Amino acid sequence: MAKPFTLNEMLIIAAAREINDGENIILGVGLPMTAGALAKALHAPNATLMLESGIVDFEPLVPLNHIADAHAMRGYSYNTDLFSIFTALYRGFVDVCFLGVGQVDRYGNLNTTTIGDYYKPDLRLPGSGGAADFISYSKRTVLTMRSGEFKEKLDYLTSPGHLRGGNSRNESGYFPKDSGPCALITTQGIFHFDEETKEMFLARIHPGVEVEEIQAKVPWEMKVAEDLKVTERPSDEEIAFVRRFAPNQTMSRALGIELGIEHAVAQIKKMRAEN
Amino acid sequence: MEGKRSKVTTAQEAVQRLIHDGDELVIGNYTVGTCADLVCEVIRQGRRDLTLYSQSGIFDAEILTAAGCLSRMVSTYVMRSGGKTGGSSVERALQDGSLELEDYSNFNYNARMVAGMHGFSFMQVLEGVRETDLFTKRTFMGDDKYRIITCPYTGKEILTVPAANPDVCIVHVQRADKHGNAQYWGALGSVAAAALASKKIIVSCEEIVDESIVRASPHFTIIPAYRVDAVVESPWGAHPCEVLGYYNQDKLFYGLIMAAMKKCEDMEKWLDEWVYGCPSRQAYLDHYAKVFHISRLQALKAKPLPSAPASYGAAFHSAWDENDRDRYLGKTPEELELLLEQREKLYG
Repeated sequence: MAKPFTLNEMLIIAAAREINDGENIILGVGLPMTAGALAKALHAPNATLMLESGIVDFEPLVPLNHIADAHAMRGYSYNTDLFSIFTALYRGFVDVCFLGVGQVDRYGNLNTTTIGDYYKPDLRLPGSGGAADFISYSKRTVLTMRSGEFKEKLDYLTSPGHLRGGNSRNESGYFPKDSGPCALITTQGIFHFDEETKEMFLARIHPGVEVEEIQAKVPWEMKVAEDLKVTERPSDEEIAFVRRFAPNQTMSRALGIELGIEHAVAQIKKMRAEN
Repeated sequence: MEGKRSKVTTAQEAVQRLIHDGDELVIGNYTVGTCADLVCEVIRQGRRDLTLYSQSGIFDAEILTAAGCLSRMVSTYVMRSGGKTGGSSVERALQDGSLELEDYSNFNYNARMVAGMHGFSFMQVLEGVRETDLFTKRTFMGDDKYRIITCPYTGKEILTVPAANPDVCIVHVQRADKHGNAQYWGALGSVAAAALASKKIIVSCEEIVDESIVRASPHFTIIPAYRVDAVVESPWGAHPCEVLGYYNQDKLFYGLIMAAMKKCEDMEKWLDEWVYGCPSRQAYLDHYAKVFHISRLQALKAKPLPSAPASYGAAFHSAWDENDRDRYLGKTPEELELLLEQREKLYG
């Protein structure tokens, strides 16, 4: 019997499987970095991992706090700047990028800027960062979603997916042909995009999840593949890698923070007692 | 000539002299190594009505906003901690109208600095944003946020952004010499562009090193002395952010700031304790040791991993060989003088 896994682990492992050996990958913070490390360790040893801060071909040791984390800087082979990473992307040298989802619509357009009115926001999200550029020029974009939400209409369009569907992305003339999001991976399943309409449809469902649970989060009538498959279970090897590499990512963010604070408080108490 | 005098000073003096109300201020650091000491000093000196350029504003953009220093911001990414419940100084300032924010994507923001750094008036940028609200929604920059022109070579429409030349850049690096040659390594991000685009530059560093160290490793210098106005030695000057080769991020302390940001009164308390209550970086470190214990800081220190040395050597270091003969002419200095005299080449 295979090891049981958490939904976060399923999400990370499914993302890692989107990386092929030999590809150039731009990683963002959080689970994409763990996915990149997993791919490189298990099935894509010749993948080149890149960070927009200018770190190229690095070998991850621990999960990174951000895209310029000191822990990415052991044994990387090319050191450049942000400008050059983006121009390399623009020229078509990046195969895959990963983006986290705040709000997403049915065509894979993303909002990570504002909830509510832009000029008087209910909630201000982080903004674009590199996201708008990554999804524009990367050959493929994999969207990952942990706590984001599906929206009929975005409050702000930060990052261009398949725009208005159909051929609208190609017709705009601003993007490489047939680029854009190819998959949206959530903790419950995996969506792909219809070749004609570019609307997302549920292509795989994670083990133990029901279609209705996913539909409940999607405000439109969700399309489901006729041959809906169950996502291949994480292997023991994949689970072991994620737990060893990023123990705090296997659980929910809230639980991670709770345990982190508990540990820090205990450490401080111990130091005080020793003095 | 600017390059050849000592510019070493204190954070207090540098900010006093070089940053004024109403200035455009850019934080040179990108995500890592944030110039925390200099940011705190800007707050303590009560600067107002600043326009902040921030590639990736983390707690720096947050605390400057919370302290009321800013009226405008140009950014691509503002870290926030509120999650779905909301809450950050920037969010509150946008809601009450005290802050205007112009949003760019990372490349398009950085392109403004690169244009400014090279003295160009604009830069061509990645046009994918034309399909987004980054392009359509504008605040104080209005029509000048992006403009579209026709490429004179291809006839295609191209998207452009205007150059940025902020009044002053504050930036933290690993080391610098007293003249201001600033050495920085690791993720290069947009650090050099932000500094070199600016009219004035204040560099803080973990340590001031001898000029000979800079001259032996010039590839680490990202800002040359002749552009720098002030150098401040500030060990732990980026805390709670990390500095490659020196120390890691202080995750616990960072987390506490993030938690404080959620509520206005908590943020004010944090500023009172850690910025207004600590008149210098040393006072801040002393206070840290009192509250958390100094060993927490020591535990963050980086383990050494030097880069492989590169040889800057050449075959010889003088035009004269070991016998004091010119390597090209084969003459000694005396023989050369005699020859010049014989050929009647000497005057006076």
